[in-house]
Amino acid sequence: MESSSASHPNFYDIGNRVLSRSRWRIPMESSSSSHPNLYDIGNRVLSRSRWRIPMESSSASYPNFNDFTSRLRQPAAADLLQSIKSFTVSFSLQNPHASYDNGKRVQDFLATMETSINEHPLWAHASYEEIDNAIECLEKYIMTKLFNNTFPSSTEDLKLDLEISEKVSLLQHFIKPDHLDVPRVLQNEASWLFAAKELQKINAFKAPRDKLLCIINCCHAINNLLLDISMTSNHKPAGDDDFLPILIYVTIKANPPQLHSNLKYVKLFRKHSKLVSEVEYCLTNLISAKTFIKSIDATSLSMDASQFHKRMQLAKLANAAQSYEGNKPTNQQEYMDVRGYSRYPFMDAEARDLRFEDVHKLLGLYKHQVARYAMLSEALNQLSINENQLLSVINVPQGAEKMKQQINRNAL
Amino acid sequence: MAAPGGNKIRNAKLVLLGDVGTGKSSLVLRFVKGQFVEFQESTIGAAFFSQTLAVNDETVKFEIWDTAGQERYHSLAPMYYRGAAAAVIVYDMTNAASFARAKKWVQELQSQGSPNTIMALAGNKADRLEDREISAEEAQTYAQENGLFFMETSAKTAINVNDMFYEIAKRLIRVQPVQNSQGMTLADKPSQRIVNTTSCCS
Repeated sequence: MESSSASHPNFYDIGNRVLSRSRWRIPMESSSSSHPNLYDIGNRVLSRSRWRIPMESSSASYPNFNDFTSRLRQPAAADLLQSIKSFTVSFSLQNPHASYDNGKRVQDFLATMETSINEHPLWAHASYEEIDNAIECLEKYIMTKLFNNTFPSSTEDLKLDLEISEKVSLLQHFIKPDHLDVPRVLQNEASWLFAAKELQKINAFKAPRDKLLCIINCCHAINNLLLDISMTSNHKPAGDDDFLPILIYVTIKANPPQLHSNLKYVKLFRKHSKLVSEVEYCLTNLISAKTFIKSIDATSLSMDASQFHKRMQLAKLANAAQSYEGNKPTNQQEYMDVRGYSRYPFMDAEARDLRFEDVHKLLGLYKHQVARYAMLSEALNQLSINENQLLSVINVPQGAEKMKQQINRNAL
Repeated sequence: MAAPGGNKIRNAKLVLLGDVGTGKSSLVLRFVKGQFVEFQESTIGAAFFSQTLAVNDETVKFEIWDTAGQERYHSLAPMYYRGAAAAVIVYDMTNAASFARAKKWVQELQSQGSPNTIMALAGNKADRLEDREISAEEAQTYAQENGLFFMETSAKTAINVNDMFYEIAKRLIRVQPVQNSQGMTLADKPSQRIVNTTSCCS
């Protein structure tokens, strides 16, 4: 036994590690301490669960690694352990890719293992739930182990993630539920906040099932809000006519990390036989929300086209200023103070020092500076001050005095 | 696997298409709430529904996907109707524009969808005869020309609602018998799955 536990995947350890990050208890508790109201709302939103996997039960007991590992520790499980090990080893030697082929390899492996477990003497008298649990544990184990080989990481994926999150960060500045025609009676910021929080948790997990649960819980919160409203008001239930616009709004408010990559990952690696029915419907809605957001232009919203362009432009300036200020809200005083090298972190940098992720920052700084320069230049122009003249006196003795004289002359 | 009732359960994805205000959801709610099949649970979500229908010795479990009818979301529809075994295209018979939109859906499904998808055209709000803008003859002719089956329905009075879903179920069984479902795969996923009823969504 000892030798096998040394050479085979250590499920106890993995199980404990995976479970210790158990999503349900930890996030709920942490949100309860910081946002007591949100916790209440969350409970209310989720209490009417019509989903067959209520959040509470998935928290502690599912999937149950103890049952799975206790079976695998028996000598009769050696063949299964061997298959698991050889799969993860051979997979991790491949180049990392979230490709259709790799998705298929994982899916085929899970299907083969499902057959093996179904026919295995160790599960001879097991219930459907016990076998299902074993497959869930297996998926969680291999996907946690192979996460770096499977999570989308190509330049194209990174580009799409960045493109979407930048677009959302602009839309966040001005989009209102009315722009998506969400009826007033459905506008409920508290429930939406709860739904958005669920989406934002998506990167806290590695297993496809756990990521998918974040999506389902988000949809679930919106779902229950709509059911509540249909019961307590005269608003006629309008199905996806109501649901999708709210999901789009919530997604924009949440700006979930790596949205494209996470959706791709779940679609490729969540066991396909589990990606059906309501679960598939939820995922499809979020994929279509993402697609819509990515393509939002002046004609997509209930908003005048010229207004849209203006708001987007302003949002760009605001974001540039914000990234320049190191995420602090811009305040007039700081804006006026341009001294201090630390505000220009690339001044000492060489081209070869720059990393891909610097481009974003650099571009933000550049845009901010250009916008600022254009305004200063315009201000000087309005004061009829010649820029070059001004610059020529800046370093000479009594330069400041001369400048003041010039400004005073012009002011008269 | 055997369902509690003893017969086979066939899962069938059904997608709802139609303009805003045609009463798509009301139609489905009438169907889902009005049926009761022993041992089978139905799902009433905000936009996803499921309901089982017994047809002779088979049971069809409809998984009903609603879609957003607003024009601005039109281009997203293929994600929803991909792999659907059936599509119900709903228009409001008191609103000619919604019929024109329904025709657009039919065209799109004919060119983009799967040829195996069973299409039904529902002229909803049939209780409001005095406001009628689209005659039953016109819709019937259109449906015949395009190989759809057509019914005028009313979510309000329940006229033809169950009949329509029952007819879809019968056609599903006729067109895609269980034994051959392997050869009838649509897109990258079979439109119908024979499953243990407790297995999905966990």
